[in-house]
Amino acid sequence: MDKEMTLDEGLRLDEEENNSGNFSDLEPVVWLNDDDTEVNMFFHRVDSDQIIYQTKKKKCKMIGKYVMGDLLGEGSYGKVKEMLDSETLCRRAVKILKKRKLRRIPNGEQNVQREIQLLKILKHKNVIGLVDVLCNEEKQKMYMVLEYCVGGLQDMLESTPKKKFPLWQAHGYFCQLVDGLEYLHSKGIIHKDIKPGNLLLTLDGALKISDLGVAEALNMFAEDDTCYTGQGSPAFQPPEIANGHDKFSGFKVDIWSSGVTLYNITTGLYPFEGENVYKLFENIGRGEFSIPSEIENPLRALLEGMLQKEPEKRLSLPQIRQHPWFTRKPPRTLEYVPVPPLRGDEFHTMTVLPYLMEYHYGDDSATTENHTEYITEHEINEERRLQELEVHGQAVTGGSMSRRGGGSGTKRRWRRPISCISVKKFPSCKQS
Amino acid sequence: MRNNLELLAAILGGEFFSVKTIVNCTTACDYGWGVYSKVCFSQDHTSWLPSGSVFGPGVRQQRPWKNYAAAYPAFTAAYVATVSTDMLMFEADAAHYRLCSVLGHCCENIATVHLARHLPSGTMVAVKKFNLEKSKQEASLIQAKCCFQHEIILTRQLQHPNILPYHAAFVSGPEVIVVAPLMAFGSCKDLLSSHFTDGLPEAAIAFILRDVLQGLDYIHRKGYIHRAIRASHILVSSCGQACLSGLRYACQIVEHGRWQCSVHSFPHSTARNLNWLSPEVLEQNLHGYNEKSDLYSIGMTACELANGVVPFADVPTTLMLTEKVRGSAPQLLDQSTLQPLYDEDGGQQPALHVHHADSGVGDSVASNMMHLKTLQQRRFSQPFHQFAELCLQRDPTLRPSASQLLAHSFFKQCRQRHGDVSPTVPQLLHPVMPICEPRIDSQDDLASILVAERLAELEFEPEEWDF
Repeated sequence: MDKEMTLDEGLRLDEEENNSGNFSDLEPVVWLNDDDTEVNMFFHRVDSDQIIYQTKKKKCKMIGKYVMGDLLGEGSYGKVKEMLDSETLCRRAVKILKKRKLRRIPNGEQNVQREIQLLKILKHKNVIGLVDVLCNEEKQKMYMVLEYCVGGLQDMLESTPKKKFPLWQAHGYFCQLVDGLEYLHSKGIIHKDIKPGNLLLTLDGALKISDLGVAEALNMFAEDDTCYTGQGSPAFQPPEIANGHDKFSGFKVDIWSSGVTLYNITTGLYPFEGENVYKLFENIGRGEFSIPSEIENPLRALLEGMLQKEPEKRLSLPQIRQHPWFTRKPPRTLEYVPVPPLRGDEFHTMTVLPYLMEYHYGDDSATTENHTEYITEHEINEERRLQELEVHGQAVTGGSMSRRGGGSGTKRRWRRPISCISVKKFPSCKQS
Repeated sequence: MRNNLELLAAILGGEFFSVKTIVNCTTACDYGWGVYSKVCFSQDHTSWLPSGSVFGPGVRQQRPWKNYAAAYPAFTAAYVATVSTDMLMFEADAAHYRLCSVLGHCCENIATVHLARHLPSGTMVAVKKFNLEKSKQEASLIQAKCCFQHEIILTRQLQHPNILPYHAAFVSGPEVIVVAPLMAFGSCKDLLSSHFTDGLPEAAIAFILRDVLQGLDYIHRKGYIHRAIRASHILVSSCGQACLSGLRYACQIVEHGRWQCSVHSFPHSTARNLNWLSPEVLEQNLHGYNEKSDLYSIGMTACELANGVVPFADVPTTLMLTEKVRGSAPQLLDQSTLQPLYDEDGGQQPALHVHHADSGVGDSVASNMMHLKTLQQRRFSQPFHQFAELCLQRDPTLRPSASQLLAHSFFKQCRQRHGDVSPTVPQLLHPVMPICEPRIDSQDDLASILVAERLAELEFEPEEWDF
């Protein structure tokens, strides 16, 4: 029997779906006689103050040796959450793939299989590392354990008013992108979806090319890098794909999209735009674009070289490496675009910690004082009404969260110190 | 390949290497070693080429390797190093070292440490062998290889009396061999497990930690963070001098020519060092950490040396993490710290369990009580308690630096001991004796080594000898 209760529009309380939002820390109380097999087929009218919720505890969940943390992001394929390797204490990210969801995406399962196969052979400081793959047949879920990244270039761009980086910062990322791309190409792999959204950053500022879902590995005996399909993001596609050529040079596709990426992160604009994909492709197909006047020459020339309509004329990676803009670092200015905070936490603290705190100390506090709070549906409605009032009236600035809010980041205060060398047998965490 | 090497020798003019030594690097190349790294010392030992310099014309100048790598790819694959110390030449030739016995294993059993005699001079040395073919998984092999490579390069760049030097490092067949001076008392971990199960005497700890802090201060000034300070990485020589080793986990503070105010990388294959790592290293957030995290490890090591066992030894790693993050500081166990805990619990069985290696079922409680009693009777000096407390502060900015700590009153006892009455480290370590020269280097010994090596393959886990 499912614990979830679908009430009304915004209040679907799925533990995984609800990591953001005001009532994410609420979970329905388990009804005492919930296991009745006799399901009442009729609707019952229930008074709103009789539906009771319990504040959700950060319940520790283990997948293999990994401890599950909070949501980091969501892609078309599923969620990405944080995890902690309980043996090495190394932070990880996990891509959770649901078979059910994958089937609905064209080539979904195939793309995932290919990505896993590719990532397994790849090892480079600028390509995301696949650490582990776990499967849960019963739940029809697959977990891709990856290196932990604090954020992506796209999120960083969006956090700035002009949606661009200072030149020195963009230069640093672009150099790493070229390093990673050179490695991929040396392994005969064409990424096909280079864009700021797929370029992630680790804690120490290393750029990682990620999402090889649509990447193509050239046949080992292939004579050249000819490709026949392209399925990357439209705005980053080269004219040969926009014009519908049936075969084209794969490496040059990545060069083009890296050029669009460089254009985007230095100007905050896109070289080609269009109201819809057709208009966009029409514009790309013509290959005419302009570069804002603030972009001065070595960079302007590089962008022009990378965004050549004819693939043969487009710069190659070695040529980019030799380019004056690449070889010379722009002067470092004070402005620096940091990784934007995650749910208000600018330092991106381990989100696994509250779960571990709950796991290791939670029982203590539950026995010493009754910590669990019960909230009725009526109260939620009341609170929501108040919040709406606040928003409309703008009477209160800040701190408009619920009165018992506190946020998920608050750590429980600890009372009894645990001796650092005590032996305490912990039951192994529940495997999911 | 050989031609290249001879050419190389010609270029070098035989000043640094003989042709014979260089031939060794064909094998080195075969095993993918030293693609870009080489540290070579001139014979007078005054100048050296930094890691990353690569063979090529004008090799005696210091040049960044990138230029060379691009210009002379054939020469980039060379890795040889010979160095003279104390008038002695330690050749990069396996035939010059006769192995006597196995001292231990390290690096997850990929490497073996042997006691060996340097035949030309007759001195005893420690020889560490990495067998690159032994490792089962390729991934772990690559990681281990990078680790050793990093360690060798870094060790050759650092020169300090309290950092374990390498006399020579070379490749012989499938093995990478590192020759280091013999540290006759072994590691502090050995001392703890062989005799001082309840901890070393405070005076010995003061001498050892002073040496370690001197080495650490030097490492920090050179722009590195050690990241693996622990008893097993502290080696004690026959005269009682302590040396720091285990540099394979170190990382650089300087990046792109800039001194970083914080570092964010999480050390690889660090699972065994976790208990010593500072909370800020473990937290892995955008605050990062700096060289002060090594001082937290010094505090942990101080507790380890004093208590006989590292704090959190028995605790699940995740609990260790939350404890450190919440700021719980381990303590030295003696009268002052144990008494209150014991009193509070009254008649209850004490929660303390000191001996993690203890596996006895029936007698464990009794033996615990015994341990507790002995721990409760001893008393560490107030400065020692303060020292540990200073190091183990949660806020890294509050921790003193290595050089500041060297002026701490805890080390007064080292300075006062100039008179003949006070004991030296070897005396303090009595009855543990330093490893002495074996009487005969006979064929029997060799046979026993072979047996020992075979035994080692059976995945026993002898005492850790991590240097």
